Amino acid sequence: MTPGHWRLLGLGLLGALLAAWHSYGPFLFPTCCHELVTPFNQAWILLPALSWVALMLVVYARDPSGWMWKLVLLYLATRGAWVLGYIPADIGLTLNRLLQNVHQIVLGHMALAFPTGRLAGRFDRTFVAFAYAWVIGLTSVWLLFWQPPDWWNRHNVIGLWPNSDVAGVINSIALLGAPILAAIALWRLWRRWSIATPAHRRVLAPVVVAMPAALVIIGIWHVAEAINRDEIRVALQTPVLRLTELVLPAGFLIGAGRALLARGSIADLATTLGRGVPLGDLQSLLARFLRDPTLKLAFPAPGGDGFIYPDGRPFRTDERSDARATTPLRQGDEVLALLVHDPALEVEDPGLVRAVGSVAQLALTNERLSAQVRAQLSEVRASRARIVEAADTERRRIERDLHDGAQQRLLALAVRLQTAKATVQGADGLIDEATAELHAALTDVRELSRGLHPPILSDMGLGPAIEALAERAPIPVEVQVPDHRYTEAIESAAYFLVSEALTNVARYAGAKTATVRIRAKTQRLLVEVSDDGHGGADVSGGSGRRGLMDRVEALGGRVTLDSPLGEGTTIRATLPL
Amino acid sequence: MSGQPSISVVLADDAVLLREALAGALSAAGFTVVGQAANVDGLLELVDHLAPTVAIVDVRMPPTHTTEGLEAAQRIRRAHPAVAILVLSQYVETRYAVDLVRDNPAGIGYLLKDRISRIDQLSDAVRRVAAGETVIDPEIVGLLLGRPRRGGGLAELTPREHEILRLMAEGRSNHGIADRLVVEPKTIEGHITRIFSKLQLEPAADDQRRVLAVLSYLKDR
Repeated sequence: MTPGHWRLLGLGLLGALLAAWHSYGPFLFPTCCHELVTPFNQAWILLPALSWVALMLVVYARDPSGWMWKLVLLYLATRGAWVLGYIPADIGLTLNRLLQNVHQIVLGHMALAFPTGRLAGRFDRTFVAFAYAWVIGLTSVWLLFWQPPDWWNRHNVIGLWPNSDVAGVINSIALLGAPILAAIALWRLWRRWSIATPAHRRVLAPVVVAMPAALVIIGIWHVAEAINRDEIRVALQTPVLRLTELVLPAGFLIGAGRALLARGSIADLATTLGRGVPLGDLQSLLARFLRDPTLKLAFPAPGGDGFIYPDGRPFRTDERSDARATTPLRQGDEVLALLVHDPALEVEDPGLVRAVGSVAQLALTNERLSAQVRAQLSEVRASRARIVEAADTERRRIERDLHDGAQQRLLALAVRLQTAKATVQGADGLIDEATAELHAALTDVRELSRGLHPPILSDMGLGPAIEALAERAPIPVEVQVPDHRYTEAIESAAYFLVSEALTNVARYAGAKTATVRIRAKTQRLLVEVSDDGHGGADVSGGSGRRGLMDRVEALGGRVTLDSPLGEGTTIRATLPL
Repeated sequence: MSGQPSISVVLADDAVLLREALAGALSAAGFTVVGQAANVDGLLELVDHLAPTVAIVDVRMPPTHTTEGLEAAQRIRRAHPAVAILVLSQYVETRYAVDLVRDNPAGIGYLLKDRISRIDQLSDAVRRVAAGETVIDPEIVGLLLGRPRRGGGLAELTPREHEILRLMAEGRSNHGIADRLVVEPKTIEGHITRIFSKLQLEPAADDQRRVLAVLSYLKDR
């Protein structure tokens, strides 16, 4: 037995005593009993009282530092105030009259504060405080003017100015106020329900159903009392109708039980986690377990600046709005993860989210590592794409410079040489030699700039550009390319891949023919270059091929090489569109 | 070409140095350079006002320095069908050449810019487009003919027929081919009939349709 268990046992005994007092207390006194208070009838009071005790113990076990179990205890204590009337002393009667209706306010208080025991918002706190003050204050004032009839043989100890007229007026005011207070309590309860999230509603539902039912019974009782129709009160005290008193504790108990249920399945969660959670599945597992489909995980970003989602994308800070609660899960001083969830999870069961966090610590650590690697990977990808793009831009710039600079100058020089030939005598041979050299240089520059970036690619797209490659190939190349334009990056990657592949076919494959096939599939461009050569090409072969794979992968694509010996070579690339 | 009226020419090229050199060379070769432009708008204005026999257009001009010359050629074609056009290009691209002449091959040509330093070849090309012939640069034709093919009619041609096909693709007339090969035009006609039958092409009614048929054959097969 831990101290916690002892306290639970003590509270149970106290509750049992209060329940016994509430139901069988009158039999302790010689003044007992009213004809309706029989041992059999009182059993129907004991039963609901015991269910309140059970509720108190459940709530206490879940949250010993919370307020809810204290409210239940207060309810049990005030509920037994009617027994005070049997104490054969005048003070008993006065206390009985003073406290007999307080338990109804406690009931409303519990309903509005369920399940944490704390009232949400200023209005509710003010309202509940006012209700207590109203009932106790008004009863106190009434007691100053009230004395029981003589045949009671009892005296109200604070009935200083007996005046049945004043007492009657005050009683009427109290009777008028009761239904108003009840109506406001019901409205607040309805409002809590209407703004509650699904998780919160699961817990509130039984109480929201039970409260109005209980209020109807209480209301009938009071109306009957006010209009002096004792037969109605007698009817309400029949065993079957007494059972309706079970509705309220049952409602509270079901609500508290639902909250507790989640706690109970932490063991299931531990088992599931123990079997191992595939990376990326932890978020949905926790969402399912905590029954909050909107739940999200976030981890510290690799640089320590901000947070990221499990898939590595940056965490949007607007997720940290009022509609979402953010619970940091820590490992020592370090924040392991953020759990962004429905605030009701914490209302429904304080500490549950953290408990889940500690059970899932190992999985969270793994998931955090994986998220950080993903974030870094996507950063590296982005930077690789930028490098390729910068290189492409640079190639185009050099191509343009060669055209507009070297080529034009060489050409102008060649034209001048011709003019010189026409005017200078006896240098024809020399000039012709120089001209031939110039033409060789021009051809070199032209081929160089074409290799850097063929203008026909930007101008007319993949189809004509690859046709032009095929024309230059030393073996027949069949070209199947859709007549469609793609982004510059995609076109460049596909073009240079085909160019490099055809160069390799010509150099190493010993092929008779080759085929270039480009197809657009859903969100992807498939590029395929195959030949009928001797195969056996090496994946890692050549810096050219490596560079092309880098280029394709920088765009998030993939390159595969299929080159069985004797069966030709097929290089395939998939580029995301 | 003494005795004949001189052929009037406008020039468009944004490289001033080269344009001036070219103008000098063309004048020296007996052409009358009536105007020079550095961009497409300037060129179109010159053509509108001067109605030259031939417009010589560089393929690369502002603003993008890619294929403005090809578009300018099409615009001149539409506005002034009588003006012959010779596009000077640095691009050894068969697609550009074939697309240029495809709609209307009369008096239009695609010549590699390198040729301007061989003034005889340039003059020949200018005269041919002025005479309504088609001009396709020999290097472009070489690329078209040199493309490796899986079988087909080309393999059945004799070396001489191959040579004649090459000259046809360059846009030369029977007379021009006969001159080049130093044979009688009648002999050439016989060869051409055999070439067309080996390539399974319909006999062409005139030189322009013939060059198109040959280019399409080479480009598409």
